[in-house]
Amino acid sequence: MLSRSRITDEDHPLSQGKASVWNTYFQDIETIEQIDKDVKRTHPDIPFFSAESSFARSNQESMKNILLVFAKLNQGIRYVQGMNEILAPIFYVFRNDPDEDSSSHAEADAFFCFVELLSGFRDFYCQQLDNSVVGIRSAITRLSQLVRKHDEELWRHLEITTKVNPQFYAFRWITLLLTQEFSFFDCLHIWDALLSDPEGPLESLLGICCAMLVLVRRRLIAGDFTSNMKLLQHYPTTNISHLLYVANKLRSKMLL
Amino acid sequence: MGSSSGQPEFDYLFKVLLIGDSGVGKSSLLLSFTSNTFDDLSPTIGVDFKVKYLTIGEKKLKLAIWDTAGQERFRTLTSSYYRGAQGIIMVYDVTRRDTFTNLSDIWAKEIDLYSTNQDCIKMLVGNKVDKESERAVSKKEGIDFAREYGCLFLECSAKTRVNVEQCFEELVLKILETPSLTAEGSSGGKKNIFKQNPAQTSSASSSYCCSS
Repeated sequence: MLSRSRITDEDHPLSQGKASVWNTYFQDIETIEQIDKDVKRTHPDIPFFSAESSFARSNQESMKNILLVFAKLNQGIRYVQGMNEILAPIFYVFRNDPDEDSSSHAEADAFFCFVELLSGFRDFYCQQLDNSVVGIRSAITRLSQLVRKHDEELWRHLEITTKVNPQFYAFRWITLLLTQEFSFFDCLHIWDALLSDPEGPLESLLGICCAMLVLVRRRLIAGDFTSNMKLLQHYPTTNISHLLYVANKLRSKMLL
Repeated sequence: MGSSSGQPEFDYLFKVLLIGDSGVGKSSLLLSFTSNTFDDLSPTIGVDFKVKYLTIGEKKLKLAIWDTAGQERFRTLTSSYYRGAQGIIMVYDVTRRDTFTNLSDIWAKEIDLYSTNQDCIKMLVGNKVDKESERAVSKKEGIDFAREYGCLFLECSAKTRVNVEQCFEELVLKILETPSLTAEGSSGGKKNIFKQNPAQTSSASSSYCCSS
């Protein structure tokens, strides 16, 4: 809420100035509405997030708080759709801690870890960095190069023959850390590997993405643009342990 | 790339793009059209791709529909999706006025900037008419906008499925009436008999009018 005394005479509701309290206020309202809408749409199939219960409602409130505080603290990025998907597994794990003393601090703990995780990924959310070496495009290019290095034939068929631009599928794979590609609980499994990787989550993620392509190699090679787009945008249910095994093997092979 | 049968399973392939603000119901509209269902969907990140087969008259059509993310952050990336589209559907939410004003402020400009197709057919769609009591944009305003920008216009509800099929069918009919677009969309590009049709009829364009 705005306190009356903080608004100077020069400031007014139509001001577009950066220092305008009014402007900040309206911007915040917009962000809050967007976050509100997206948190409600986060995992509508999982009762923890979206049941008609006070538990689910309080979980949604916590998630909204975290996303809003992050947006306020990171003015260059604010809130970008998809952050809700990244936050969900983190918050879920902390909130379900069997130790009640720990789970009661889930909101604060999840916030800390969310900030920590995004410190390595937030550049992908920043439109101004799209064409820079730290932006999303360069991460997608790195994946493409990784595939090419590992399996030239597959790379050629995908990108040259069937013209599937890796951006069409890998944008979501990378910015959302695979949260929309697998079931929520399979994701927790994948994230265990991502977050415990000594080389950092991004290296691990790119390795897993490459392994995902390699695992459906035969179908991709036999496919045309349409079927390949469908396959990669709706990745089939997979044995996650096997996927991680392939990703690991692939990476150790690359290092040789 | 061709199917082993040698006969393409469609006569025309058209690329259709869905654009508009976040949360207006682009993905819901598409889901309602392709699988007759309505669900709470998570926000689209990047782009979503769906295919729908339609038969109109005697013609078999394959629609490749690109459903783009609405949030501003994704706009630099969506620009490449406009390339080669024969149809563009601009969606707004009839209960949220800003999603309508953004059409002229943002989306119409995006089309001008990125669409590679001069004759590309545009369609304006006001979604969520099931929430009539919350309406913030009148039908008349929609019609006026469509007239000004030279688009087709419909109001629909992805939830109740009112007018959903019509959105896509009217767009496709209009594409089919546009020789330059049907020439591009002819299937396979190599072996289809329809490919030569528009080119041939260009010398006798009157016959084209009669045939439709």
